[in-house]
Amino acid sequence: MSESTVPRDPADQVARGNLLYEEQQRRTRHFRANVILWWVIFLVILLILFSGQSIFGLQTINLDMDFFKINFSFIAKGIPETLKVSAASIILAMVLALLAALGRLSKIPPVYALSTFYVSLIRGTPLYLQIFFFFLALPQVGIILPGFWAGVLALGLNYGAYMSEIFRAGLESVGKGQREAAIAIGMTPRQTLQRIILPQALRFAIPPIGNDFIAMTKDSALVASTGFVHEIMWRATKVGRATFHSLEALIIAAIFYWMMTLILTYIQSTIEARLSKGDR
Amino acid sequence: MAPIVKITDLDKYFGRLHVLKEVSVEVAPREVVCVIGRSGSGKSTMLRCINFLEEPSYGSIEVDGIKVEAGQKGKQHKQLIHDIRLKTGMVFQEFNLFPHMSVLENVIEGPVTVKGMKRAQAVELAEQNLDSVGLLFKKDEYPMRLSGGQKQRVAIARALTMEPRVMLFDEPTSALDPELIGEVLNVMKKVAKDGMTMLVVTHEMGFAREVADRVLVMAEGEIIEDENPADLFSHPKDPRTKALIDRYRTGGA
Repeated sequence: MSESTVPRDPADQVARGNLLYEEQQRRTRHFRANVILWWVIFLVILLILFSGQSIFGLQTINLDMDFFKINFSFIAKGIPETLKVSAASIILAMVLALLAALGRLSKIPPVYALSTFYVSLIRGTPLYLQIFFFFLALPQVGIILPGFWAGVLALGLNYGAYMSEIFRAGLESVGKGQREAAIAIGMTPRQTLQRIILPQALRFAIPPIGNDFIAMTKDSALVASTGFVHEIMWRATKVGRATFHSLEALIIAAIFYWMMTLILTYIQSTIEARLSKGDR
Repeated sequence: MAPIVKITDLDKYFGRLHVLKEVSVEVAPREVVCVIGRSGSGKSTMLRCINFLEEPSYGSIEVDGIKVEAGQKGKQHKQLIHDIRLKTGMVFQEFNLFPHMSVLENVIEGPVTVKGMKRAQAVELAEQNLDSVGLLFKKDEYPMRLSGGQKQRVAIARALTMEPRVMLFDEPTSALDPELIGEVLNVMKKVAKDGMTMLVVTHEMGFAREVADRVLVMAEGEIIEDENPADLFSHPKDPRTKALIDRYRTGGA
């Protein structure tokens, strides 16, 4: 008897299809459950490494648990500040990125040159350096920004330069035919951009912008170094140094950054799923 | 009757490539002119020069009394080109519907954004034209959900809703599956019957023979024949025309 022959009866064929499908579903579920299990195992290993206990003769890292209890909320107060700096910076970055991407399409030499000059300068120097630059250079010309805004300016300018590539790709993803169709019905270049090109380009750019926002929440830690923005990293550094418990303080900060990233990544993937379902 | 489209001594270079060589054509109102020729003969370029999707290198274009000389610059020149574009509707090989808009939004976009027409009035006009291409029931769908033939019929409705004087068709059925070509050609026949002036770049010899008043044959950037279809298809003068017609007759695409 050969089991692989196709059953003649249509009802049997359907039943066989269902069986195959269920088997496939079961494997997918099995895989997911296993991945979750291993996440938990790695997490436990990580916790053991910080338990301070000696395991099989190996010393693990010893942390002062009292410090955690006392300073947890002080550092947690930095979360809204981190989110605020990141959100303001990403908005500035988006505006700059869009302008830089459009400049890159311009046929006017100074506009094209300004766009490429800006992107080249910013991408050619470290973010850490740029952040200090704004705190040191602006007061020299009499511009004294509050620390928060100086940080936003630096982060926004930096991310804007990198994100301009996202917008450029978005603009290029809109086919030449779209522009021609718009022109053929008599649209001006401005109407074509606003009504036809940008709506399609932005839709293309939303997922990568989300990724950059998540990256920004962590790069925003760099503005702590200037001492003016009291976000997570600044608070962790301050309280850690004062009590000689920098390691504990940094671990608290790490937990917050990680949790924020997990939550934001979840939101991001939800948005992405909804977009890909849309009427593209 | 005075011509509604007048192309005079049109030259076009792509880089160093001379793709149109002193082409002159006149089209009378309500006339249907098909343009045939091998790919690379310049037929699409000529069509695209009429509404300045391609900027002609030399020569002039006149549509419904608006004359534009090639090689000019400035505001007045741009205004004239804009005026010509309002007089011409264009249908593309690749349909080029706006994917982020529904069918109805696609069709009213021009009248509302370009002409400043009231939305309600544009919708009324759009629905009439969607009805005449047989797709009113799809007005709330997005282009992604339409077949190629349906997309092209919407594209025709979109162009008609701008109420042009002349319709330009750039290989409107070349991107379609064979079984969908008929529905688009039928809509085009209807448009012709309603008295629209049409310039149609096409490989559909059957359509040219049946619907065209005149057929232009292009080769190497020149118009080598300009005849009524009956004479052209039965007594082609130029050997290149004969070769072209034979190729289609023997079932080559």
